[in-house]
Amino acid sequence: VFEFLFKYRPVYFEQGHLALGAPGSVRLWLVAAAVLGAIAVATYTMARGRARVADRAVMAALRVLLLGVLLLCLLRPVLVLSTVAPQQNFVGVLVDDSRSMQLQNEDGTRRSNFVTRLLTPGQSELLQKLSDRFTLRFFRFSSSASRIDGPGGLTYDGTHTDLAGALDAARQALSGLPLAGLVMITDGADNADRPLTDALVSLQAAGVPVFTVGVGDEEVSPDIELGRVEVPRSILTGSALVVDVVVTQTGMHRTTVPLIVESDERILAQESVTLGSEGEPVVARVRFHLDEPGPRRIRFRIPAQPGERVERNNARQVQIDVRSEREKILYFEGEPRFQVKFMRRAVEDDDNIQLVVLQRTAQSKFLRLEVDSADELAGGFPRTRAELDRYRGLVLGSVEASFFTHDQLQMIADFVSDRGGGVLFLGGHNAFAEGGWAGTPVEEVMPVVLGRSDPKFLAEVQVAPTPAGLAHPAVQLGAQDGDPSERWKALPPITVVNRISEVKPGATALLTAPAPDGDRQVILAHQRYGRGKALAFIPQDSWLWQMSADVPLDNQSFETFWQQMLRWLVDGVPRPVTLTLDHEHAERGESVRLTASVVDSSYLAVDDATVLARITSPSGVVSEVPADWTVDRDGEYVAQFVPSEEGEYEVQVSAARDGRVLGSDATYLRTAPSDDEFFSAGRRTRTLDRIAEETGGRFYTPETVASLPEDISVTGAGVTLVEEKDLWDMPALFILVVLLMGVEWGYRRTRGLV
Amino acid sequence: MRDVEAPASAGGSAYGTHEFYWTRAEYTDVFGGLDDEGFGSRGRRWRGRPFWTTDYPKADRQFLVVLKKMIRLNVYGAEHPVSLADPQLRRYPLIYAVEVGHMDLTADEVRGLRSFLNAGGFLIVDDFWGPREWDQFQANIRRVLPGRSIVELPMDHEIFSAYYQIDSIVQVPNVRNAEAITRGYPGAHTWEKGGYVPHVRGIFDDKGHLMVVINFNTDLGDAWEWAEDPMYPLRYSTYACEMAANMIVYGMSH
Repeated sequence: VFEFLFKYRPVYFEQGHLALGAPGSVRLWLVAAAVLGAIAVATYTMARGRARVADRAVMAALRVLLLGVLLLCLLRPVLVLSTVAPQQNFVGVLVDDSRSMQLQNEDGTRRSNFVTRLLTPGQSELLQKLSDRFTLRFFRFSSSASRIDGPGGLTYDGTHTDLAGALDAARQALSGLPLAGLVMITDGADNADRPLTDALVSLQAAGVPVFTVGVGDEEVSPDIELGRVEVPRSILTGSALVVDVVVTQTGMHRTTVPLIVESDERILAQESVTLGSEGEPVVARVRFHLDEPGPRRIRFRIPAQPGERVERNNARQVQIDVRSEREKILYFEGEPRFQVKFMRRAVEDDDNIQLVVLQRTAQSKFLRLEVDSADELAGGFPRTRAELDRYRGLVLGSVEASFFTHDQLQMIADFVSDRGGGVLFLGGHNAFAEGGWAGTPVEEVMPVVLGRSDPKFLAEVQVAPTPAGLAHPAVQLGAQDGDPSERWKALPPITVVNRISEVKPGATALLTAPAPDGDRQVILAHQRYGRGKALAFIPQDSWLWQMSADVPLDNQSFETFWQQMLRWLVDGVPRPVTLTLDHEHAERGESVRLTASVVDSSYLAVDDATVLARITSPSGVVSEVPADWTVDRDGEYVAQFVPSEEGEYEVQVSAARDGRVLGSDATYLRTAPSDDEFFSAGRRTRTLDRIAEETGGRFYTPETVASLPEDISVTGAGVTLVEEKDLWDMPALFILVVLLMGVEWGYRRTRGLV
Repeated sequence: MRDVEAPASAGGSAYGTHEFYWTRAEYTDVFGGLDDEGFGSRGRRWRGRPFWTTDYPKADRQFLVVLKKMIRLNVYGAEHPVSLADPQLRRYPLIYAVEVGHMDLTADEVRGLRSFLNAGGFLIVDDFWGPREWDQFQANIRRVLPGRSIVELPMDHEIFSAYYQIDSIVQVPNVRNAEAITRGYPGAHTWEKGGYVPHVRGIFDDKGHLMVVINFNTDLGDAWEWAEDPMYPLRYSTYACEMAANMIVYGMSH
């Protein structure tokens, strides 16, 4: 309609500016117009007849308007446009070559069909128009981009979509050429985790507009999709896991479906999920244990539902390295306490936890339990970092801060922040504020805010998990399904002697209890501190969860709680060499980057180590890749390798300095075809719109793409010409003239003035 | 808890103010329940008091004074008796029972003590002598822990080194025998009722945890009670206190 009325499409008006093409002075024209207007007004005012003043005014106004329109036409309005010179410019056509282009639209055609139709020479009018005006250069892109001669070079087999990478690659390939713009044909389902901003800024700087053509349905319906699943990369055998899985759906609201967790064809857990209302995600929480050591591939899946459009986004896989190591934890208690006895009993059957106890029994007398040698802790609490760093976790019981020297207090803080160890502060008469810990270097490590010391404080509390606690594996009490809150309610009250109601900013409370003063009493809180973590468990007698007469003898809540707490304490504590991969899984031929963090025995970063990665392929072929120091970060080394087989790769890395081994670490990588392209596979109109808008291009759908060649001509960069386009003969002006005359005639008829 | 001479001020209400309560087990003995005149339901008692109150509360009070000096322990400073049938018993994971050669537990006490031990409680028994009292104790403890054997604790057991290093088991005499020894009376001896050899025995659970430590043919309680008596030989009080310290440190950590 716009084009019919105004002769040109809106883009012309957006890009150009208006001018008047009539010869002579505009002022002269305006004077002439004023005279004519005055004559018209005078004529209507002075004419004799029975018309009233109001009628005369209306008719005079209509006549003046009519004269104004005619005058405008005489002024010869023009649209001044800068248009791309024909056949002197290049246009890069980027075509999405990833697997998501194989998805079917609602009408049964594939996304790729549109590309074929659009780009097949001799069959596509659009291609012909583009070719007439520009020299075309074709690119295919998925995780990388490359030149192709035409649509014949497309396979739609790319495993990832990297829009930013594709734009960068095309811009660089065409740099130096007069580039009118880039045309990007894609569903926009980027999954490269790379921000677009940098690529868009570069295009803006180069003045290259991007014209995006979005293919596919915006909403794939009906469909169920699992969101990304977050799990720790490695855990100790037997550790509990609580995993939240976000399930989104379209067209399947309120349906109940099973969510299955399986490993090696064995079902670990199953949960019924009732999907939310249309388009609303729901969070399904599953709990399970991993008891067998080694690399475990965990698959979360919802069986394909009848009529589902995409089935391959119903499952997510994660890799967890289940380690069977004995983690050494030092528990220092300032006096004989039953906590020692019951905590030891709770973990005595746990092969992965070695709870070394150092208990002060008199001023300079200590009871040592579970030590490895007669010398270990013979002098009491460690006095050197090396002595303390041999433990991966530290539990501090009811012991006053003044027991420690300042150096030891600083050492405890450094143990967490530098060494990355886990520290657990237990409540008691000599703990927290009551133990004089305020103002010490260790206070900063604590996840709770110390109030004023109140040695007389004593409260009985009924512990309950917070919302964060409900999702935390350490406080599940072994609940495999259902809500652990019920298990907590069944436990008897226990007592606290440290009044703590606040956690530090950045810390999280997992367990709390109503306090006698109406406020809350923090029971369990944690925070990250430097490289490590700090936990505070405030009650003094959690062993009542086992000893109280209200607890059945077969209730394992106390044991489970402390097993999980101590496992959590040492979970993720760094080793001298820590290896991470940038991919959880990769495809054959996809480059994988490994990063090794190397520290010495004092946990100081080492920059001059010799770091070697040893990669064993599924068929047993061993290759060695040296890792180089990144320079940017102390103690960080990187190497790249490209897996060539499908299956499980073992990656080991070892570090040495001056011939002395500093440490080693290992992890696993699975190579298999990826399903990433089938997740969030609806057309991303917003992304494509943003690319177009920020670069000065336009966004199209298959329905609107016909105007693309013309739009590039008007809005494109490159070699351009200035054109003037007449507007005086716009149908809109003619219609306006007729309309004004018609209105005047109609008015006269109505008022009986004819 | 029961109102006896120098009644205990402790009890459930005091729970939580201290880490450790030296808790004396109240139990029914062979004379049955106690009436106002000091008669048991099965006859008149010795000094009109039940056997569980032997040396009570003086021994407990004196022992607590010494205990605070020996061990850095946040201990409740008064005697603290709790009945074996009281559900609150399980709040005090270490209990002490004397004159167990006269115990005759009720069904509630059997259940209470069994549940206490199976949940992880630790029982110390003391001051009973000779085969007759042994049989009486054994019959009762078998009702509590049927099928569990009573074994001699070897001297390399950790209970003998948890705090003090104890190399031999000493027979601690009652106050009369001890004074006789000090005075050098002819024929003075440490034993009584045919209990000539002192023993430290134990009962373990399925996982090897020591649940009950049995001080047989010895009277640690008298050694604490009469520790201030110049006629009571120091070596017995010393041993009794050392053994008690070891049992407490062990019982709170193992």
